[in-house]
Amino acid sequence: MQKSGKSWVSPWLSGSVPVLIVAAIPALIFVGVLLYFTGWALMFSFTNLELYGRKATEWSFVGLDNYERLFTRRGFLESLWTTLNFTFFSAIIGQSILGFTLAAVLRNMYGGVRSVLEVSLMLGWLLPDIVAAFLWSATTSKTGLVNQLIVIPLGMEPVNFLNDYALPVVILANIWKGTAWSYLLYSAALDNVSKEVVEAAKVDGANAWQRTRRVILPIIKPHIGTNLLFITIWTFTYFPLIYALTGGGPGSKTEVLSIFLYKQSFGIGKLGYGSAISVAMLVIVGVMSLFYLRLLKEPE
Amino acid sequence: MADLALHSVEKTFGALKVIKGIDLDIRNGEFIVFVGPSGCGKSTLLRMIAGLENVSGGTVEIGGKVMNNTPAPQRGIAMVFQSYALYPHMSVRENMSFGLELSKTPKAKIQERVDIAAGILQLEPYLDRSPRELSGGQRQRVAIGRAIVREPEVFLFDEPLSNLDAALRGQTRVEIARLHARLGTTMIYVTHDQVEAMTLADRIVVLNGGEVAQIGTPLELYRNPANAFVAGFIGGQQMNFLTPEQAARALPDTALPDGTETVGVRPEHLQQVTGGGIEGTIDVVEEFGEYALYHITLDGDALPSVTFKSSATGVGAMGDRIHLRADPQHIHAFDAGGLALSVPTRH
Ligand SMILES: Nc1ncnc2c1ncn2[C@@H]1O[C@H](COP(=O)(O)OP(=O)(O)O)[C@@H](O)[C@H]1O
Ligand SMILES: [Mg+2]
Repeated sequence: MQKSGKSWVSPWLSGSVPVLIVAAIPALIFVGVLLYFTGWALMFSFTNLELYGRKATEWSFVGLDNYERLFTRRGFLESLWTTLNFTFFSAIIGQSILGFTLAAVLRNMYGGVRSVLEVSLMLGWLLPDIVAAFLWSATTSKTGLVNQLIVIPLGMEPVNFLNDYALPVVILANIWKGTAWSYLLYSAALDNVSKEVVEAAKVDGANAWQRTRRVILPIIKPHIGTNLLFITIWTFTYFPLIYALTGGGPGSKTEVLSIFLYKQSFGIGKLGYGSAISVAMLVIVGVMSLFYLRLLKEPE
Repeated sequence: MADLALHSVEKTFGALKVIKGIDLDIRNGEFIVFVGPSGCGKSTLLRMIAGLENVSGGTVEIGGKVMNNTPAPQRGIAMVFQSYALYPHMSVRENMSFGLELSKTPKAKIQERVDIAAGILQLEPYLDRSPRELSGGQRQRVAIGRAIVREPEVFLFDEPLSNLDAALRGQTRVEIARLHARLGTTMIYVTHDQVEAMTLADRIVVLNGGEVAQIGTPLELYRNPANAFVAGFIGGQQMNFLTPEQAARALPDTALPDGTETVGVRPEHLQQVTGGGIEGTIDVVEEFGEYALYHITLDGDALPSVTFKSSATGVGAMGDRIHLRADPQHIHAFDAGGLALSVPTRH
């Protein structure tokens, strides 16, 4: 390929460089702001900056103290474990598998059932987190719908689900809330799988399971990678629904990293430590993303 | 090795009846072509034979057994799709061995069959490539190879050449004919292209609107089309249809059968005369080298245009006047319903 001075722009745009520069300004500002905040967090993660009091103004550099604290103090590792559980079960297992299953099943269905299911999926997605949290806490409380409809009629003691099974409830709520995205993405991916290829596999003698595992899933592997990348990042840093539903409790049973970070930074006011937590989260998400990006690459 | 029989086969999609009762007996080893315009139900019929579509009425028998409810893999068929339908994530070899692997064929046997098929189709150099790295013609050969390794009793092809360019299409057509000669297996081939139908088929089934318009050998259909639809569909160039009045001028000494509503004359069966006959002006000349096609607007309002095929020189140029007669040995008369009437002058 020829390397000319303008080869970095597509031929469509190369004639209008001034327009391009004007269009690039917002993007540059955006990138600049992003870098500024990241740099800010990185810098203050090496300080003892606090939100209130003397150390709010007279902070000083403390070296790696904050990072050491991540591993020596109670909190971070437990919270990381909770977050990994939450992410794994609600996003990777729940949303992704349920979303794929729904996409695969519903695409062969028409009419009422499909519409009802699609609308309810979308409702979960579109409902504001706070409203969703209220719904879930009302449904799972001791006097809530689940107890009224299922537990009590079965002759059992009503259960306060949000207290006794906090993490599972939060996971379920997030599956309910987020599956629409995976459903939409996998529906689009399945539209791209040629019908004739699937029929060829049928003629070749593949049953439904073999067609899915040996033909459809490998073909949509890049889409699976994209989806896992997105939902992992979102879920790993997810805050509002959990916070509104449990506030991280009972105890710290549902205290995922975002809530831990919030409490350390704005509850206790340790901004330096909070910055270190956010940098650690960034690193963990980054590593996971690299893993998915490898999935995303075309085979060979 | 199997005969194949369709008895009053029907297919409805919701309220829409797409296949309206088709009877067909296919002998073992025959090359059958389903031909017809787009949307006439060729693919649907083929897919019912394959087991990819439920049969709404009638029976599909393969080798004397009713197969209506038999799943596709157990019907002894192999199918080649229009889009090739190769598994994009598998190598050529894996594409060909997938079905055998699923049926738990021993590894050595799979290898042997794939190698034989690759030999027949000259695919040996490409066995480890991905379909993405192959040309259209090579992909088509892989799709055929995948069918061959199944050692089916019936091959089903759904417009296998329509994604290839013209030159490759001609070449692959010959390869398919060779393959049939070599394997001797029953083949059913769907196409909308009458050239493929004429050149490949032992017998052609012309479909129109979900019904059989005519079944016969290529020459039977060319010489004795049973109706105006087949007459218009089969043949290198579209047949000309004349009114009885025009026909009387084009065929001065020929008595047409009673009830003749239209008279069909193929472009190659018109002759230029110096005077009389039907008369018109040449609009367009298509020069093919070995012959030329002259598109002519006839004087008068009814059925005003005809095509004349000639290899003579000096027929005329655009704008020239031309007089034509028809060869009485090769005319076709149709009644008001489009059914063929027998013409005494035709041998
Ligand atoms: N799955 C389907 N649902 C509804 N109508 C269909 C379906 N498949 C085909 N048809 C209709 O049946 C008719 C015949 O289709 P097809 O067999 O594909 O025609 P051909 O292969 O001759 O072009 C068309 O009118 C088409 O719209
Ligand atoms: Mg078709």
